[in-house]
Amino acid sequence: MSNEATSTNQNQSPSDPSADELLKETLKRCSPETITAALAFRQSGDISLVPTVVLGIVERFLEPEVVDTLKSGDDSVRFMEDLGMDSLTMFEAIMMVEESLGVSIKNEELWDLRTVGDLKTFIAAKLSGVEVVAQAKSFPIEQIAAVMPQQEPFLFLQSAEIDGAKAKGAYTISGKEGFLKGHFKGDPVFPASIMLEALGQLGVFHFLTTDDSASEGAGSSIYFTGADGVRCSRVCRPGDTLELSVELKRRRDPLVVYSGKITVAGEKAASAEEISLIVAPAEGASASGAKE
Amino acid sequence: MGLQRVFVTGIGIVSSIGNDAPAVVGSLRALKHGFEPFAPQNAKIPSDVKLAGTVKGFDVSSPDFEDWTLPAPYRIRRDVMRSLPPHGPYVHVAMSQAIESAGLEEPDISNLDTGMYTSSGGSTRLIHQNTTRLHQMGPMRCPPTGIVASIAGTLSFNLVAQFKIRGNSCGFSSACASSGHAIGFAYDDIALGRQKRMFVAAGEDLNDESLLPFAGMRALSLEGDPQRASCPFDKSRNGFVSTGGGAVLILESEEEVLRRGARPYAELLGWGQASDGHNVAMSHPEGVGLVAAMQRALRSASLDAGEVEYINAHATSTLVGDLSEGRAIREVFAKQGHVPKVSSTKALTGHGLSLASALEASIVSLSMKEGFTPGSAHIRDLDPEFEGVNVIRETLSEAPKIALSNSSGFGGANVSLVFKQV
Repeated sequence: MSNEATSTNQNQSPSDPSADELLKETLKRCSPETITAALAFRQSGDISLVPTVVLGIVERFLEPEVVDTLKSGDDSVRFMEDLGMDSLTMFEAIMMVEESLGVSIKNEELWDLRTVGDLKTFIAAKLSGVEVVAQAKSFPIEQIAAVMPQQEPFLFLQSAEIDGAKAKGAYTISGKEGFLKGHFKGDPVFPASIMLEALGQLGVFHFLTTDDSASEGAGSSIYFTGADGVRCSRVCRPGDTLELSVELKRRRDPLVVYSGKITVAGEKAASAEEISLIVAPAEGASASGAKE
Repeated sequence: MGLQRVFVTGIGIVSSIGNDAPAVVGSLRALKHGFEPFAPQNAKIPSDVKLAGTVKGFDVSSPDFEDWTLPAPYRIRRDVMRSLPPHGPYVHVAMSQAIESAGLEEPDISNLDTGMYTSSGGSTRLIHQNTTRLHQMGPMRCPPTGIVASIAGTLSFNLVAQFKIRGNSCGFSSACASSGHAIGFAYDDIALGRQKRMFVAAGEDLNDESLLPFAGMRALSLEGDPQRASCPFDKSRNGFVSTGGGAVLILESEEEVLRRGARPYAELLGWGQASDGHNVAMSHPEGVGLVAAMQRALRSASLDAGEVEYINAHATSTLVGDLSEGRAIREVFAKQGHVPKVSSTKALTGHGLSLASALEASIVSLSMKEGFTPGSAHIRDLDPEFEGVNVIRETLSEAPKIALSNSSGFGGANVSLVFKQV
């Protein structure tokens, strides 16, 4: 994104040669294929050209060492984590996409574009006029901590993503967790009970974030009440990232039941067929278990 | 706890007379100026300004930062460059040089006891570009880094983030005294034990927008001959030659110097400031603010006027400014029977607003370490007004033991820094 004051490419008729020149100027550091695709898109409106243009624009903002990652064709590649783009670079790229394709992207839409796939789908949907399918919504740790009754040092959820009835989350074992000192002496093994706790917390987060009643103070009165079909299949240690996932199985007030599983680097670590939470009225906190 | 002693332990310079300390020392010894022909980049601007103190090897003339080039071996990542003003690359490079010259490791730089004061006038060029784009295309087409790259304080935002500075940070703005104030307050922070180490970084653009408005003030020389264009103290001086560039000083407490085993360039003994309270753009004719600033600097350093051996004058080569400084020097020194050596290195470097004081403080520190006293170039006929002031016209092969470095800014803001050879 240049700071240079150039006029917009938008609102120009496709046949206007000066509009083509401006488009080339906007995309001047992009690959020739990108520019060709953008010009062709302007002529034909062919949506199949959009990914070429969008990826070409993203590529021009990348440091050379991550270009291959982008070009791997993997739609799950993440802009920030995998490509090292920060939010300002995202703004720059988005502005260039907007100018090149004649679309406009709102700030709140931008927050949900985390992967290359998200972006491609989003732009194509925008251009074709199709309603954009609701994206999985991601939450950073600040937002999680603001919602959850559990707090440091007993919060085992560092990021979360909610997509309908499902939620994903992650927790990286730092090795500084106090209980690791004694579990076990000289052999820090992340306790299975805490793994279950982490899944329960992801369930709580899903419930509080998706249920309307959450706003009525449920956050202070949601408790762990049971777990069935629990299996542990891998020892987890400092440095491991627990990839948590839960899915809402049923809800019969005051009970909410999730299934859940944990993987580490794709390898199965633990699973629970049922994790039950009870949403109790604030003063009627049951004596059935410790406060979760 | 008493006051901590403060030392200059690192220096980085990108200037019209050289892009690193050895090159600058070479130019000062040889009295070699850094002026080249200047023509407005926008050929439609009618202008009689013919010279500028150009920075060689850097090309930051394009309105698009992605076209900017740096001399080898320097390289700055795109995502660092995008929020820099055109003088940003100069200062960024000077930072790297200063860090290397001080021998600092990353943990020395990024901690709560290491801060940074900066000074820069911002970038009028980028402000113009951004507002033009705003008017033409609306706010959502303005570059997201446009503000942080252009407004005053830009060096602070950028360098503090890019070098992971965690101590005190702030941008100073008092025109040509800006970086003098930055050095002074950095001194205070260390002397008072608030910080152990401070970076002072200063820089200015050199382009139509930063340079030509000074012609409207009738402050720039319109001469084409470099020898006549910047000749402070000369009878026929006719204004200053503008320059851009970057300068960085690293100041450290004695404790840190000893702990790290650093070899300082000089000791910063103290400083003083005072204002003229006189005119928005002209110095007080008798230099009253500068007199007070020098006296306060001497008091701060516990020195008598007679101990000062050299003064690096602000002297830009304008009639009013040079005369008032000459009178101020006579008032503080000659009247007490002392005649320290005086020179203005702006005859060689040109004058660069916020950059000036840091550049000259660097020059004084370098001269102390390298063992010379820079002369005042380009004097043919000394203005009789400077009789009784010991203006030296050649570079001397001996360093001053105690030196002042003076700066005066718009509104009559005056700063005087006191350095001691170590």
